[in-house]
Amino acid sequence: MAKKPLHPFLQLVISIVLIAAVVILTLSIFRYPDRLGPIAVAALVITLGTFLTLLILRHFLLIWFSYLHQRELANDEPLDAYPFVSIIVPAYNESEVIQSSLGSLLELRYPYYEIIAVDDGSTDGTFEKMRTFEGNHYGVQVQVFRKENSGKADALNYGIRRSRAPIVVCMDSDSRLTPDALRYAVRHFKDPDVGAVAGNVKVINRHNIWTKLQALEYIEGLNIVRKAQAFFRTVNVIPGPIGIFRRTAIEGTGGYDSDTFAEDFDMTVKMLADGWKIHYEPKAVAYTEAPEELLDIIKQRYRWSRGILQAIRKQKHLLTRSSGTVTTPMSLWYMIFEGLIWPAMNIFANVFFIWIALMFGMTKLLVMWWLLLTVLDVLIAVHAILMEGEDMRLALYSIFYRFFYIVIIDVTKVFATLEELVGLDMQWGKLARKGRI
Amino acid sequence: MRFDWINILTTVIFVSIVVTLILAVASYFAYKVREARRPKTAAELRQEGEMKAFFHQYQPPK
Repeated sequence: MAKKPLHPFLQLVISIVLIAAVVILTLSIFRYPDRLGPIAVAALVITLGTFLTLLILRHFLLIWFSYLHQRELANDEPLDAYPFVSIIVPAYNESEVIQSSLGSLLELRYPYYEIIAVDDGSTDGTFEKMRTFEGNHYGVQVQVFRKENSGKADALNYGIRRSRAPIVVCMDSDSRLTPDALRYAVRHFKDPDVGAVAGNVKVINRHNIWTKLQALEYIEGLNIVRKAQAFFRTVNVIPGPIGIFRRTAIEGTGGYDSDTFAEDFDMTVKMLADGWKIHYEPKAVAYTEAPEELLDIIKQRYRWSRGILQAIRKQKHLLTRSSGTVTTPMSLWYMIFEGLIWPAMNIFANVFFIWIALMFGMTKLLVMWWLLLTVLDVLIAVHAILMEGEDMRLALYSIFYRFFYIVIIDVTKVFATLEELVGLDMQWGKLARKGRI
Repeated sequence: MRFDWINILTTVIFVSIVVTLILAVASYFAYKVREARRPKTAAELRQEGEMKAFFHQYQPPK
């Protein structure tokens, strides 16, 4: 029998206790500097030194490997013949965006594909809007199915079972593929060891500071990281808005599981564990609608953080061993570092530098630290924007990125991790769409 | 008059970091409050084994 969830008020109380505990612990470390022994002070300095070294090293390694990947792609030749592709579009209460999403799929410049739209028991008229696309559109067969609500993972499996092609594209119903996305993505399947290709996700609604910051985050953080990982063929998240899979690979994993809140990450880990290579194609672009308000961003990142942790816990046996390859454990450890350790270190570094400035009057150190990080962030933003051919004005937002945006996201990640570790209940938390795609 | 840029910058950085940290914790708290007050979805009600209806289900007499 399923465990009965805690009362929302009780969940809130537990969250407040966790927040208070973290704040009190952080303040208590720095409250009485004279009581900190020399070992504690040395440990703090070493931790912060490590943080700065890691930060700079991480940035340069990511840029270097993403550059190598870009150079490698430049020599890639197009395919002689394109394989048949099935596109799976699961949707739950997406009436605002479903028509735009399906419409974009009919405009793909790809010779041979079908579309399988699965309504996951929507109650807002999504199915009726989907039905208007049913039929044959100049050789592209659109099939629409309706099933009882059971989650995105289940809806994707339902669509995959009804598809016929050797290459399967899984996407979100709030995404819009660019016309050449498939042409570029399928070329990587020339290598028989490639099980999946991650696409390039970009933010479509860039009209307030939050969405512009997310647009920059997607260009700078997520895609540079994916490019660097793709150099080793170990991309560790095939994004929900655009994932292209070899049918045999996806069927070999048993399909998507519903027991985590990050089914895309969970699927990626299963494929890496099965020994498949995972590539990234920057020209396979999917535009997605980003949350427009702060609390919605927190809601999304909370779900991502807990979902990743759930998937890692589920596959924890892979942290130490893998079927003949070291890439799976490395990939999981990288996610632990990025998702859990790095956010905590970032917050800690912020508090630590304020403390130094206050206690010892080391204001120059604070300014130098800030300038170093800002210059680094601006350079990386410019590099990423140039590589992606994006709007250079977004680089201005990199000044606000580290000191405002990342702090808020990292605080959310830390609390989400704590709540996952204490086993607090959570729900999917579907975001309300504005219909911007 | 000569500006002390280091002090001005320090103040700006200091205030922005402190304010952002407070804002981040407060926003997370606000998010949790919003989630706690949100009405339950049909899926959540199903998971809890209860189904709210606008009328009481008719149970035929045994």
